[in-house]
Amino acid sequence: MPRIKIDHTKCTGCRHCEAACSLNHVANTVNPRRARIRVMRDGNRYYPVIAGPFVDAACTSKQYIVIGDQTYDMCAFCRASCPQKPYFIEAETGIPLKCDFCGIPPSPSCVRWCNTGALELVED
Amino acid sequence: MNGWIGRCLRVNLTDGKHQVEKLDTDLLEKYLGGRGLGVKIFADEVDPNIDPLSPENKLIFCSGPLVGTGAITGASCNVITKSSLTQTLACAKMRGHFGAELKYAGFDIVIIEGQSEAPVILSIKDDKVKLIPGLEYWGRSTAETEELFKKNLDDPWIARETYLVSIGPAGEKLLPLANLVNDRFLSVGGAGIGAVMGAKNLKAVAVKGQHSLQVADGSRFVRVINTLINKLNSAPLTSQSMSQWGTAFLVGLCYQKGILPRNNFRSTSQPLKNIGTEALNSAFALRGRGCFACPIACIKKADVKYSVFEGKGMVPTYLAIGSLGFNCGISDLSAIGVMSMLCGEMGLDPVATGGNFATVMELVEKKAVTPEELKIDISFGNADSMIEAIRLISTKKGYARRLGQGGMAISESFNMPEIFMGVKGLSLAPFDPRAIQGMGLHFATCNYGPHHLYGYTFIDELLNVHENLDPLETQGKASLVKRYQDTSAVVDSLGLCNWPLMGLKFNNYVPMVNSCLGTNYKADDLLSIGERIWNIERIYNMKAGFNMGHDTLPERFFKEPIPDGPAEGQISHVKEMLPEYYQLRGWSEQGEPGLEE
Ligand code: SF4
Ligand code: SF4
Ligand code: SF4
Repeated sequence: MPRIKIDHTKCTGCRHCEAACSLNHVANTVNPRRARIRVMRDGNRYYPVIAGPFVDAACTSKQYIVIGDQTYDMCAFCRASCPQKPYFIEAETGIPLKCDFCGIPPSPSCVRWCNTGALELVED
Repeated sequence: MNGWIGRCLRVNLTDGKHQVEKLDTDLLEKYLGGRGLGVKIFADEVDPNIDPLSPENKLIFCSGPLVGTGAITGASCNVITKSSLTQTLACAKMRGHFGAELKYAGFDIVIIEGQSEAPVILSIKDDKVKLIPGLEYWGRSTAETEELFKKNLDDPWIARETYLVSIGPAGEKLLPLANLVNDRFLSVGGAGIGAVMGAKNLKAVAVKGQHSLQVADGSRFVRVINTLINKLNSAPLTSQSMSQWGTAFLVGLCYQKGILPRNNFRSTSQPLKNIGTEALNSAFALRGRGCFACPIACIKKADVKYSVFEGKGMVPTYLAIGSLGFNCGISDLSAIGVMSMLCGEMGLDPVATGGNFATVMELVEKKAVTPEELKIDISFGNADSMIEAIRLISTKKGYARRLGQGGMAISESFNMPEIFMGVKGLSLAPFDPRAIQGMGLHFATCNYGPHHLYGYTFIDELLNVHENLDPLETQGKASLVKRYQDTSAVVDSLGLCNWPLMGLKFNNYVPMVNSCLGTNYKADDLLSIGERIWNIERIYNMKAGFNMGHDTLPERFFKEPIPDGPAEGQISHVKEMLPEYYQLRGWSEQGEPGLEE
């Protein structure tokens, strides 16, 4: 099955993937807050996160992890669209969002516009 | 309205009130947006003869129509004001994510007027406009300001999506070298603008929002962008050089052609081991960072390590390496990295600051002033004391406080104006105009002093991307300069970045513009809008007291041939090219444009 592989070390934080995703889901409209992929920024680094399943309550495994000189809020990397965070909620309607793996073939919109190789379509 | 939010915010800092205005669609047709629209509004509203630091001066942040739409490199927002360094109109370009976020926050333009009594921060969050007391931020570096502001938001989710542009201590102290810094590391590229913001007591502007933008023909737009990405990927400069090293890759090429200046434009020979991309790789572990929607990502971050400093910073750009480094006789890339980072933290413009110190260094060398008098050993090649001096001038501490007035003022105060290497008060970007004649003509005629971002002829003269031109040749350069100057006006007005032109032709932008905005422009239509913008900038400056006498270069470039290197023996031929340039622009022999259309 094809899936999108994320290599955060290659991500430049350009958010072109967000623009691509929103253009592909709402006709003629660009708004990163309506995208199903969001690029999280923590300190100096960027982490693309693709929206996963919707949950109606916050989980209990919320935690912070310290790597080097930085503390990471694991919530930021979680794919769930959950009430704990304002991400992956459609900005205008409030409906939770989930990646629908759009645009295949040949490749999903976000992968198509990500020029650094941070997002890659792989076959498992 | 395709591409636009359609609203303009006007904030008066004197009484703390703001109002929302509708965007004037007639103006958009004639001036596109961004730089063009901002300049038009500014020229209509602000008397050319005001003091830039007075409350009458305005500061306009103007996004372009393509910004935030996903158009490649549609990220930039222009900052228009009358600069306190050059006394000319300045329309500096802000890269990063601020411009796009400003539109998502609900405004295309922010016009800032008046002067606040106490320090404030302007916060724009989803149409909500607030002036926040800024006293606790005053005196802090740009990085600290951003960090503290985000901490005070008390919500990491909102903080992640908030973008900030701020001034550092240099702007607060009204230094003419001061600049704005956005997205933590990016300097906006307009010396004197920081002082204007400082005089208004405005420490920062913060934006965040979730408005949507409309494009005219989404599916065509997506197809066009796919093609453009492919084109960028097949061009060697945009796919490799720029993405790997940013503009710093130019160092080696400029050196080979004798364009990279040393010791205040008096030599072009450099220590070889510090030239070229290998030197960059060994000095920094580079990580790419892109402006909004940019497939090139030329901004490079790295950990900077040097005896006096260690921390996170930007890899210096070509400008910083040339101005703060080689032209001051300093070639240690780590030291240059620290200086460039410090300039960012203090809110100083790297080019103007480098030129400022190169002037001081030559004064010291010519014994107009001694290091003992300055109480600091500023001399060519002394990186440590320059790092110290950058701190001192921006906080106006110690004896060095007199050294931050800009190269022109300093050289005049010692009665040696001839050693200032700049035009209209701004130091030359590090391209020796004797070795690259087109850039020389651009430097002489540019409306905002010798700044390479207003006319990048080196793309053809040095990099030979679209045309294979000899940098030393003068034939045909007048029209090249005009074309690039007009191009820069269009590109800035649309809100795009100039660097894709290292791989794309200007014509390639046109379908992207049309599918996004629903217009029917041809490349020539856009270029003639660019020409119109260039002319109103020129007319404004003429009303502010500039004339053809200012369209020149320092005498050194006409009298002293380059003493060494590949361009040995060359002088600048600007004076010969100038009449043809005026003629091509349709100006009188005195360089005056006709009346504004
Ligand atoms: S695959 Fe499609 S829906 Fe999923 S994140 Fe990418 S662009 Fe959005
Ligand atoms: S397009 Fe790619 S590089 Fe840019 S932010 Fe998205 S994942 Fe990162
Ligand atoms: S090329 Fe560089 S400056 Fe231009 S938009 Fe891309 S990252 Fe920004």
